[in-house]
Amino acid sequence: MELGLTLAILGGAFAVILGGIGSAIGVGLAGQASSGVMSEDPEKFGSLLLLVALPGTQGIYGFLSAFLVILKLGLTGGSLASPTIFQGWQILIACLPVAFTGLVSGIHQGKVCASGVYMVAKQPKDLMKPVIMAALVETYAVLGLLITILLLNGIALKT
Amino acid sequence: MALAEVQKVQILAYSGMKMELLSLLQEEGFIQIESANFEELGLKNSLPEVSHIDLLLHRLSHAIDYLSRWEEKGFVKKLFGQKLQLPRQEREKELGFDYKPLLDMIEKLEADKNDVLSHIKFLEKEKEFLRPLEGLDLPVKSVKPTEATEILLGSLPLSRLEEFQKLIDEKALWHQVIWRKKRKVYILLIFLKSDKTSFEQVLKELNFNPLYLTEPILNRANEQDRVEHIIEKIGKEIEKMREKIEVLEGEEQRSSVHREKLMLIYDVLLNEREKLLSSRLLGKTERVFYLEGWICSSDIKKLKSKLLPYSEFIEIYFRLPHPDEDPPVILENPKAGKPFEIITKLYGLPHRRSFDPTIALAPFFFLFVGLTVSEAGYGLLVTLFSLLYIKLAKPKGGLLQFLKLLSILGISTIILGTLVGGWFGFPIRRLMVLDPLQDPLSFLILCLALGFIQVWFGTLLRMISQIKNRDYLQAIFVQGGWLILLPSLVLYGVIKQSLWGIISLVGAAGIVFFASPSRNPLARFFGGLYRLYDISRYLADILSYTRLLALGLATSVIAMVVNTLCKSALGIPWFGWLFAAMIFVGGHLFNLGISFLGGFVHSMRLQFVEFFSKFFESGGKPFTPFELESKYVEFI
Repeated sequence: MELGLTLAILGGAFAVILGGIGSAIGVGLAGQASSGVMSEDPEKFGSLLLLVALPGTQGIYGFLSAFLVILKLGLTGGSLASPTIFQGWQILIACLPVAFTGLVSGIHQGKVCASGVYMVAKQPKDLMKPVIMAALVETYAVLGLLITILLLNGIALKT
Repeated sequence: MALAEVQKVQILAYSGMKMELLSLLQEEGFIQIESANFEELGLKNSLPEVSHIDLLLHRLSHAIDYLSRWEEKGFVKKLFGQKLQLPRQEREKELGFDYKPLLDMIEKLEADKNDVLSHIKFLEKEKEFLRPLEGLDLPVKSVKPTEATEILLGSLPLSRLEEFQKLIDEKALWHQVIWRKKRKVYILLIFLKSDKTSFEQVLKELNFNPLYLTEPILNRANEQDRVEHIIEKIGKEIEKMREKIEVLEGEEQRSSVHREKLMLIYDVLLNEREKLLSSRLLGKTERVFYLEGWICSSDIKKLKSKLLPYSEFIEIYFRLPHPDEDPPVILENPKAGKPFEIITKLYGLPHRRSFDPTIALAPFFFLFVGLTVSEAGYGLLVTLFSLLYIKLAKPKGGLLQFLKLLSILGISTIILGTLVGGWFGFPIRRLMVLDPLQDPLSFLILCLALGFIQVWFGTLLRMISQIKNRDYLQAIFVQGGWLILLPSLVLYGVIKQSLWGIISLVGAAGIVFFASPSRNPLARFFGGLYRLYDISRYLADILSYTRLLALGLATSVIAMVVNTLCKSALGIPWFGWLFAAMIFVGGHLFNLGISFLGGFVHSMRLQFVEFFSKFFESGGKPFTPFELESKYVEFI
């Protein structure tokens, strides 16, 4: 029984860690690019902030998946669920879509946002265009999140 | 869904009134002036010089920037501040004000201040240089060689002091340590001139660094003045300079009352410059000038009435654009649809052949943002804030439309948030029709259904535009085929009646036989069959709408997380409520930001990638009328 719980928690941890790594790298890439632009033109802080913040969503998706796991296991208080070993594996695997899509799409969205930052440096009026481009990358993290939520929802635990 | 009709306007008028007429057109902003076809019409053009205005504009903006530090500042004032206003007819009066002496004065103030500042810097460096020598109790003027002796000031690294001491003892020299610092000693040395060369060599090896009193320092000294007196004198001088700067700044502050005047003049001059630049586009003969441009048909009447007083000197012609001409595009929408034009414009204006998709996308966009944010409380905040901002700051143009769009989307979020979400993470069960957390599958089907409707509608719009362009075969058989095939296939899959299967085959037949343009029947058949493969694209497009569920859930779950954290924070003794309140406000504001950003961007993507790809053709040029421009001022 304890192993089941441990595996489930590992799943939630994976979602946060991998999503967080993806976002951290992504935001880092965009942030470096924007500091370069701001050294020339400090006025652009506001519009660049948007592009830098955009790859941050993957980390949030991982976080909220993990939170769903926490709620499912009753770790916040109340009665603690006791998943079987198989259910533990199921929860772990259910967390993988958001974890891996978050990791990879976060990094690549960061790259798109970084080049978007350069674009905004030259064409300040076209801010929304790189934002949309970045959203195209994020789609896959959103789909990963969707499947993780549906899978977690489908796993029934007896408390 | 139509584009506004644009007509070509041609004006011939007496050249004496060229500038007056241009001013009028600039005020009204009806016409986009195009370059006249000089060669074909055998006209000359003129190239008035604008560089003198450029120079003035540069000086003005520099002065305005320079005085900006005296402007009253405040966060609220900055956020809700309104621009200066200037009646457009009276703008040229502003140039009657003789601003050039003012400009000269401000520039002189700046130059003077810079002079004084650099002088202060110089004095401070001297003071810094003298500081270590303060303990020298000789008059400065007496520090000079005599017939037989040499006198030397300098510093020595502390680590070499022992060696130096040895040297001194050996040669029995007179020296005095003036000041001892952490790593350095300052020393006064007196030695015989005859020893000079050999001695200097030894000192060099000891890293002795000689210091020489400079000309300005010596000039400042009286016969009896020692270093400390000179430092005092320099300090007094710096004080005096600082007072001078205060006087200069006072003058600056007084002249900053003219800053607004300079702003007015800047904008008026800016428009004079634009006027001169536009006049380059006009053709001219000896007595007459010729102007050509585009005008929105609905403005023609107004233009005519404005030009009525000049009718004796003017000839105006209007005509529809020729097929080979490429007129600019103006979107025309009812008031409620206008804010949604932002989305269309972002993708690109429609081509003249296509049509304005704004009204078609508006209801979908409205719904999608509501579903992706699905948090009624956030909707309420956004609507309230944008309405408040519109009321207080009275923004114009693009910003106003954007705020209107935000307030409309906020309303959508209030409605849909109540139905499928909650208020700040607390669902109101009585009003909810569907809880995506409890029943995600129903919500998923809802999203797919919405996607199906939009994709189908997009195909219908393509059919309509093909009919408009007289491409009947494609419109009826291919697009019509898809329009039949898609819903009947879904119905067949759901209720499994063979009737719907047959109907879907009819639709597919239309695509197979008419989709390929080839004349060879076999190639045509297989080409058409291949086009049937597009069904996978339709499938992918519709599946893409599942993001509505994921984003909606993300908002609700984060809101829930914030509330759970608040609840835990309340458990902290004494300050629990404070932490809870901070987490509640901060967390929900954060969630509001990311969920609106995500909702906006992803809903937009659904329009651009899934919807527009079905029918929309962009590539129109925007209509940019010749009108008053402004940087600081608002023309009323």
